[in-house]
Amino acid sequence: MKPKQNQHPLKYSIYSLIAVVAAMIFFFPIYWAFSTSLRNPLDTFTVSGFGIPFLNFEPTLTNWVDQLATEEARKAVYNSTVIAVFASILALALGIPAAYALARFRFKTISNKDLTIWFLSQRVLPPVATVVPFYLIMQFLNLLDTQLALILINATFVLPFVVVIVRQTFLDLPIELEEAAFMDGARNYGAFLRVALPLAAPAIAATGLIMFAFTWNEFLFAITLSSKEVITIPIHMAGAVDTRGVQFWFMAVRAMIAMIPPVLIALLAQRYIVQGLTLGAVKG
Amino acid sequence: MAEVKLRGVKKSFDEVEVIHGVDLEIKDQEFVVFVGPSGCGKSTLLRMIAGLEDITAGEIYIGDTYVNDLHPADRGAAMVFQSYALYPHMSVRENIGFGLKLNKVPKAEIQRKVDEAAKILKIEELLDRRPAQLSGGQRQRVAIGRTIVREPSVFLFDEPLSNLDAALRVQMRMELEKLHANLNTTMIYVTHDQVEAMTMADRIFILNDGYVEQVGTPLELYRRPANIFVAGFIGSPKMNFLSVKVLEINGQQITLQLPGEDQMQLHRENINFRVGDILTLGIRPEHFELEQSKECFLSATVDMIERLGNETYIYANDASDNLLTVVGDGELDVSSKEKIKIHFTTDHCHLFGRDDQSIQ
Repeated sequence: MKPKQNQHPLKYSIYSLIAVVAAMIFFFPIYWAFSTSLRNPLDTFTVSGFGIPFLNFEPTLTNWVDQLATEEARKAVYNSTVIAVFASILALALGIPAAYALARFRFKTISNKDLTIWFLSQRVLPPVATVVPFYLIMQFLNLLDTQLALILINATFVLPFVVVIVRQTFLDLPIELEEAAFMDGARNYGAFLRVALPLAAPAIAATGLIMFAFTWNEFLFAITLSSKEVITIPIHMAGAVDTRGVQFWFMAVRAMIAMIPPVLIALLAQRYIVQGLTLGAVKG
Repeated sequence: MAEVKLRGVKKSFDEVEVIHGVDLEIKDQEFVVFVGPSGCGKSTLLRMIAGLEDITAGEIYIGDTYVNDLHPADRGAAMVFQSYALYPHMSVRENIGFGLKLNKVPKAEIQRKVDEAAKILKIEELLDRRPAQLSGGQRQRVAIGRTIVREPSVFLFDEPLSNLDAALRVQMRMELEKLHANLNTTMIYVTHDQVEAMTMADRIFILNDGYVEQVGTPLELYRRPANIFVAGFIGSPKMNFLSVKVLEINGQQITLQLPGEDQMQLHRENINFRVGDILTLGIRPEHFELEQSKECFLSATVDMIERLGNETYIYANDASDNLLTVVGDGELDVSSKEKIKIHFTTDHCHLFGRDDQSIQ
């Protein structure tokens, strides 16, 4: 980061200092979990100083090796990945056309505004209120303890977000671009697929990423609709609590495993998310 | 190539009617300009021809085809938007060739047509750039290129030059005229700039509040405006309007009381007013003179002077405190607060009745 040209160096230093302190406060729990994951269980509460590896304690990979060796942990990562990826894709596949329709067509029987609010209202109901009905539905469909059940339910719950966020993205695109496509001989589908969709792609990628994180973190339905086969990472993390209390060393490893994929994807996709593709479309 | 016909076309947004039954006929290969102040409905009318707005009532024909219910893609028209509306995720080449690609034209053919259009518009070296890397004038050319390659039967322009600086605007104006001469296609051009209208149009349609006020060649509109609106809209600086009282009607000879003491006589065939009526007299600033050579005059006091080099604008108040504009030559010897006499001939006077319509 470079200081802005007309900013006083002292002012800049103070702002930077505040930013660094704030970042340290926010990152400390993550750092602590990481540090804990590298400690011998005996060192968990007795470590001195800031728990810096090599300085305050002798780090060990035992916890990681023990955890990753278990069938359960690998299954949790696999299940969570499959469910989060497919639920996000399903929600995007259903949500994007709905969002486009709400942004560009005028519905007569029910107004566009009412339809949008109806989509959003799906999120007003606390999810816990729907647990029993969903359990019964899944039981009826013979889908209890399957990935498909969690994919369907997670997609249902993130769909309103997709519709509302992506609709706004389409609304922000200059409508002349699609009109120009019409004049160039495109039908509604052509204008959508060849013009609107590519331009909305960065926002759609960002939305997909947020939906992935939501689904990845989902706990309530994962614990009620699955029993043995389809354990996800949040459930696996909660499993670090047993009759001897919380096993902080395992909890720390599991928390790290839970965090790595979303953070990694966010870092990789950052370029696309930040990129403003509409630049230069209409007058500068 | 095609003619365009509108029959009783109306447009309402919700309850508000913005176009009130427009009938017009545009001939094949004609360059027609829709001109009018902001909000007069000119862009809406163009978008209705393009198919981008629904038609509330009436019929639109392009060529012999009734196009009311046709998708914009099927009307055979191409349009240049005010904002250019270039696809930002495509190169210039892809932008220009997009319409051809949609119509499944073979690649080699697209390449050839794009190169040809680029040559006409002198943008050959820009073909691999993205719109964001182009200047305003270059974007404008690309937008025009996109319409040329489709070989449309009608070109539609929606204020295409309004985002360009003055010098570039003059240049593009001339290039559009050349383009029209080369392509020989019907062109409909929307602008609020009467200079663009006057210089480019074969015929001008003047719109105001959703009505067509007058249709004619540029000089017809300048010389014989049908009403006060057209008289005030065409010409720059604006026409001067004076309230005059009818003193005497003698056959077709009428005597009018000018502001101040002077009187004047005019010859009119359609006498639809009476002695004592207040009418409006219109005289263009360029038809006023300060030399004492003309039949009629007005006494006035100079308020402000603008010197443009080649000509001088004098703003002066007459006896009734109307602000008059006079255009004189650049060397005009006049100073502020000076009392002047403004002379004019009856040939250059326009007379408007109480209904704002011209009295011939």
